[in-house]
Amino acid sequence: MAKFFGVDKVVRFFQIVRDNGGIRGSLRALYRRDELKSGTLIGEDKYGNRYFENNMHFYGRNRWVEYADHVGLDYNASQVPPEWFGWLHYKTDLPPYKDPSRPNYKWMLDHTENMTGTRDAYMPYSTTRPKIEAWKPK
Amino acid sequence: MKDVHFLRVSSRQQKRSDVSARSSQTMLRSIVLNRSVQQGLAAFARQNGLAPAATQVRSVETAAQVKDGGKLAETETKKVPRPYSPFQDTSNWAEYAVARLDDLLNWGRKGSLWPMTFGLACCAVEMMHIAAPRYDMDRFGVVFRASPRQVDVMIVAGTVTNKMAPALRKVYDQMMEPRWVISMGSCANGGGYYHYSYSVVRGCDRLIPVDIYVPGCPPTAEALLYGILQLQKKVKRMKSLQVWYRK
Repeated sequence: MAKFFGVDKVVRFFQIVRDNGGIRGSLRALYRRDELKSGTLIGEDKYGNRYFENNMHFYGRNRWVEYADHVGLDYNASQVPPEWFGWLHYKTDLPPYKDPSRPNYKWMLDHTENMTGTRDAYMPYSTTRPKIEAWKPK
Repeated sequence: MKDVHFLRVSSRQQKRSDVSARSSQTMLRSIVLNRSVQQGLAAFARQNGLAPAATQVRSVETAAQVKDGGKLAETETKKVPRPYSPFQDTSNWAEYAVARLDDLLNWGRKGSLWPMTFGLACCAVEMMHIAAPRYDMDRFGVVFRASPRQVDVMIVAGTVTNKMAPALRKVYDQMMEPRWVISMGSCANGGGYYHYSYSVVRGCDRLIPVDIYVPGCPPTAEALLYGILQLQKKVKRMKSLQVWYRK
């Protein structure tokens, strides 16, 4: 009966608001992520990003990441480390801590986000002589 | 930069003989003439703490964390909150006010980047995709306009041929300041597949200044969207009013 009249949608709305930490928390989540969702917490990586799943949403929107709180509005898709990238992009259904076949070598580097625009940005340089002579307009 | 190098080297070498100084200068010139080497060395110097800055502080911190173990490092990185504004080093109230005004201006600009549709080849199909519902660019306030008078950013999508070059430059000149350019795909970045063709410009940065290069052949709609987000970050760092105040 409740479903017939659509009351369950209202109930779900209040449940989502409650899951996001009340009215204030929901407004903050809306401001930061532009959408209000609640799902089951699948895991958290070592950078503080939290990964959620809710299969009520359709494929493509049922898995999402909430970026670490300390980055604020400076979040960036390159902050997702490679071990969670596969899960987030449906390459695998197993989160990294449940998957036994992940490569794990000691020479593997730690993940860094895209540093473009900061002072740590990668700047390539050549050590060979240039093959061309640049035109200097006078 | 080049002169500084020469000065340093020559002053050091004068204590020895003139001949060796001249030979070392010519040797150095062959290295220093390459502009990219200089930039690379500058970045190298910055990263290795030759310039005193936040990088140095961080390296000290990481050294302390390694001693205590990895667990502490994680909690340590969590605690440093990133501020919204990139302008944090204000020394007096006037600079503070100008910096906040700049923040407001940049917020408005990055929230409504209107691109010009300069679709030239297959990349244009991917550019259509980010306008479609799946990658919905409208949620970032990015709306295609058909007139260069109304746009902020031009997305050069595809091969720029010699025949198209004057048109591209004219459209760029018609755009209003401030204006940005996203070069999309290998062909627009550097000629790509047609680099050795007789009729193709080897990269649209030979015609107009480019802000963001999106790699790929063609780049996915996701890649282009990421490029737009990177451009938003770049707009956020603009110091238009602060530069005016410094003057």
